[in-house]
Amino acid sequence: MTVALLVNGRPYERSVESRRLLVDFLRHELQLHGTHVGCEQGVCGACTVLLDGEPVKSCLMLAPQAHGHSITTVEGLAGRGELHPVQQAFRDAHALQCGYCTPGFLLGAVALADRGVALEGAALREELAGNLCRCTGYQNIVEAVERYLRQAAAGRRDG
Amino acid sequence: MDKLPWLGASVKRKEDDRLLRGSGRFLDDVEETLTLHVAIGRCPYPHARIRSIDVTRALGHSGVEAVLTGQQVVARTEAITALRPFAGSAPTAFYGMAQEVARYEGEPVVAVAAVDRYVAEDALELIDIDYEPLPHVVTVEDALRPGAPQLHATVPSNVVVESTVRAGEPDRRLADATVTVEGTFRINRVSGAPIETRGVIARWAEDSSTLELWASTQTPHLLRAQLAHCLRMDETDVRVIAPDVGGAFGLKIGVYPEDIIAALLAIDTRRPVKWIEDRTEFFRGAAHAREAVHTLTLAADRDGTLRALRDRYLIDLGAYHGPLGPPLLTNVMLAGPYRLHDADIHRRVVLTNKVPMGAYRGYGQAESNYVREVLVDRLARRLGQDPADFRRRNLLRPDELPFKNVSGVTYDSGDYARGLDLALSRVGYETFRARQKESGQQGRHVGVGMSCYVEFTGYPSSAFLGRGGARFGAYESVTVRMDRAGRAAISTGVSTFGQGTETTFAQIAASLLGLDPADVAIHRGDSKGTPYSVGGFASRTMIAGAGAIEKAAGQIRDKMLRIGGTILGVDPAALETTTGVVRRRDDPSVQVSIQRVSEAAFLGYPLPPGEDPGLEATAYFDPPSSAFGYGTVVVQVEVNARSGEFALQRYILVHDCGTQVNPMIVEGQVQGAVAQGIAAALFEELVYDRDTGQLVNGTMVDYFMPTAADLPVFELDHLETPSPVTPFGIKGVGEGGTIAAAAAITNAVCDALAPFGVELDRLPVTAESIWRALAAARAKG
Repeated sequence: MTVALLVNGRPYERSVESRRLLVDFLRHELQLHGTHVGCEQGVCGACTVLLDGEPVKSCLMLAPQAHGHSITTVEGLAGRGELHPVQQAFRDAHALQCGYCTPGFLLGAVALADRGVALEGAALREELAGNLCRCTGYQNIVEAVERYLRQAAAGRRDG
Repeated sequence: MDKLPWLGASVKRKEDDRLLRGSGRFLDDVEETLTLHVAIGRCPYPHARIRSIDVTRALGHSGVEAVLTGQQVVARTEAITALRPFAGSAPTAFYGMAQEVARYEGEPVVAVAAVDRYVAEDALELIDIDYEPLPHVVTVEDALRPGAPQLHATVPSNVVVESTVRAGEPDRRLADATVTVEGTFRINRVSGAPIETRGVIARWAEDSSTLELWASTQTPHLLRAQLAHCLRMDETDVRVIAPDVGGAFGLKIGVYPEDIIAALLAIDTRRPVKWIEDRTEFFRGAAHAREAVHTLTLAADRDGTLRALRDRYLIDLGAYHGPLGPPLLTNVMLAGPYRLHDADIHRRVVLTNKVPMGAYRGYGQAESNYVREVLVDRLARRLGQDPADFRRRNLLRPDELPFKNVSGVTYDSGDYARGLDLALSRVGYETFRARQKESGQQGRHVGVGMSCYVEFTGYPSSAFLGRGGARFGAYESVTVRMDRAGRAAISTGVSTFGQGTETTFAQIAASLLGLDPADVAIHRGDSKGTPYSVGGFASRTMIAGAGAIEKAAGQIRDKMLRIGGTILGVDPAALETTTGVVRRRDDPSVQVSIQRVSEAAFLGYPLPPGEDPGLEATAYFDPPSSAFGYGTVVVQVEVNARSGEFALQRYILVHDCGTQVNPMIVEGQVQGAVAQGIAAALFEELVYDRDTGQLVNGTMVDYFMPTAADLPVFELDHLETPSPVTPFGIKGVGEGGTIAAAAAITNAVCDALAPFGVELDRLPVTAESIWRALAAARAKG
């Protein structure tokens, strides 16, 4: 069946089998490899993308379910020469090691900022519990997201 | 100028930019045209005879290109060899697929290559396999019972290897000691569980008559050697490429059955063949780790002087001896940081119908630390001594190092007691007992536990490994090449799996060559175009790699000075390299840029008479010795003495890994290792049902990997004692954080519940296990 959607602001239209997972569609039809697969059961969050601004696990959705929607993947966060503030915060705080889980965390953090919440500490850790990281022990991820959320909140106040 | 300007700098990582953009290239991101996708049929029983396999319907299914069975695999390949065979070890023919008998749930029995994975999985369901279930064993105790089911005809006892380490006069010391304590401890079976599962792409390259294998591996060169052997090929005709690896933790070392399966299918179909492990397969195929049962005895004099150690332990190997198999460091590091001369350590490695065991961060060290440090606390309690005082009395002092431990390895340097004291001061230990008493009066049970460790990092020379029969060396190697623009490129067989090697290698090379780390490119993980490499494991890459870079960069620097001397008309002996230039030591105004020197090397002119063009060197470095990091973990908990629920209130780790090349990366490594240590101590356990032999929690939903919300804030501190035996004084650091977690937490809980006389002897530590221990203690009265 035909799936038409926006990914990172760009329109795509593809014919797919109805059972095609959204994550497989993004990765293997659109060649957007930044969205990763870790468990295919909605636990690890490596496949997190934004669907109309809301974080979803793209391993738990079929591609046809995204028909008519707008999706943001990690490739859509920043242009070639720059980093998005959340990416910069992760780099500065050494919040990634192997980098496999990172795109999922980045998009989750962007969704938090979009909700306008400036969480920290234990409350933030609860929010981040939908993504697993096996390298960092989370401490630097929490720090990076705190920094980014503070910055985003300050941006909203100033803007 | 500082001799090594980038050594010790928290340089931001070179790896980050691509990974943050989602532009890293992981295994499944490699897409070749005409690729076939593999789905693997796995035995659903723990132990079964395969009476017949009928693949007719699958072969007729639209989109299926090939089907492979165990019979074909066994006929066409050699069994997987051990990288480190143990003397006297009985063979457990471990092939890419089971042929007549499958010995664990998840063992590959058939594979389909099709146009996509969906179709390949459809076709698997069309394959009819007639199994005859056989009796199984999933505990070491059951496997050792008379009449127990036998896994391999070559191993009638189910004991693959049995070995003893003895030092001093342990029997006499144990008999003479005033106090002995004994405990039996069960260590849980866990998984390293990287977020990226395993995966492989095999392709027969017609143009070069080479088998190309992309693999998510820590050891491209060792995988190549093992795979070539299995396929009866020469390793020159095999190329292994590791792209970005999404976590490894010891689990991605050496060859796996699926590598062989993919290679055979690629050879047969002459098309690229891709297999990506799904998470359900992962828990039934990728190496499990750690599971063991120890019965440990410690003996001490009345004054608290540790006298002797005896351990009888069983390792649960699973169904086969894989590339690495059981840990060696359990017995090597059992004595830990203490002054101990007498020991008797006996181990048996036992077969069960479970996934074959392999390496996992800490590999043996976490196990030995847990049993020893928990029993040390019991011994201190028996003696009526404070556990910190007891440790302080027995820790090796700096002036006693180097010290050869009871298992024959030599600790190089450190101040173990200082690490302990620093960690204790962080928790306010001097006043803690008073606070504890006060809390106790309010009905709150607070405890502090500690654990001291020594961390084995790097290998003590290839000759040392060779004497033990290892089929790999201790060395690492690099090729360093300057380009005409004056930038350097390092080629290394080590792959990138989060450890930051691209950055730290660049820091070392930049320091030695007078460059900025940004001007050092890293080409890694490809067996083609890199010198023989051992790979990234055993916390060895930085030590061995730094030595290789030092040698190669030294050769290049000497040549730059000779070429610079020719350009400047100055004796090279009067020159030095510094940031971007070659210059006179006594008159820095006489200088030539490294770029100009590099261009001369590229053009071949001007060069000193007889000098060859090019600025390139390949060097191998074989470390003469291991370096031993060390540290102490101190944990504070509060336990609910009714329910067994508990909270980790403080988690403090003080460690010493010698010279830190990049403190930011070191801290990240330690934090990650601590998380995995806590994960295995509190949350994770692969549970097999004794009756059915099935893995009951083999999904990420059921196997509880901690999230950010489940872990405390880690409080880290470090000492820095450069190793006298390694390049730049570097010690490895990748594994240390895992080692002491389980013991420190266990000791803290037991300390909190000391009024009840609670003793814990199994992992993971859970509210339930504490509740049971409380009930047992109450029943005892």
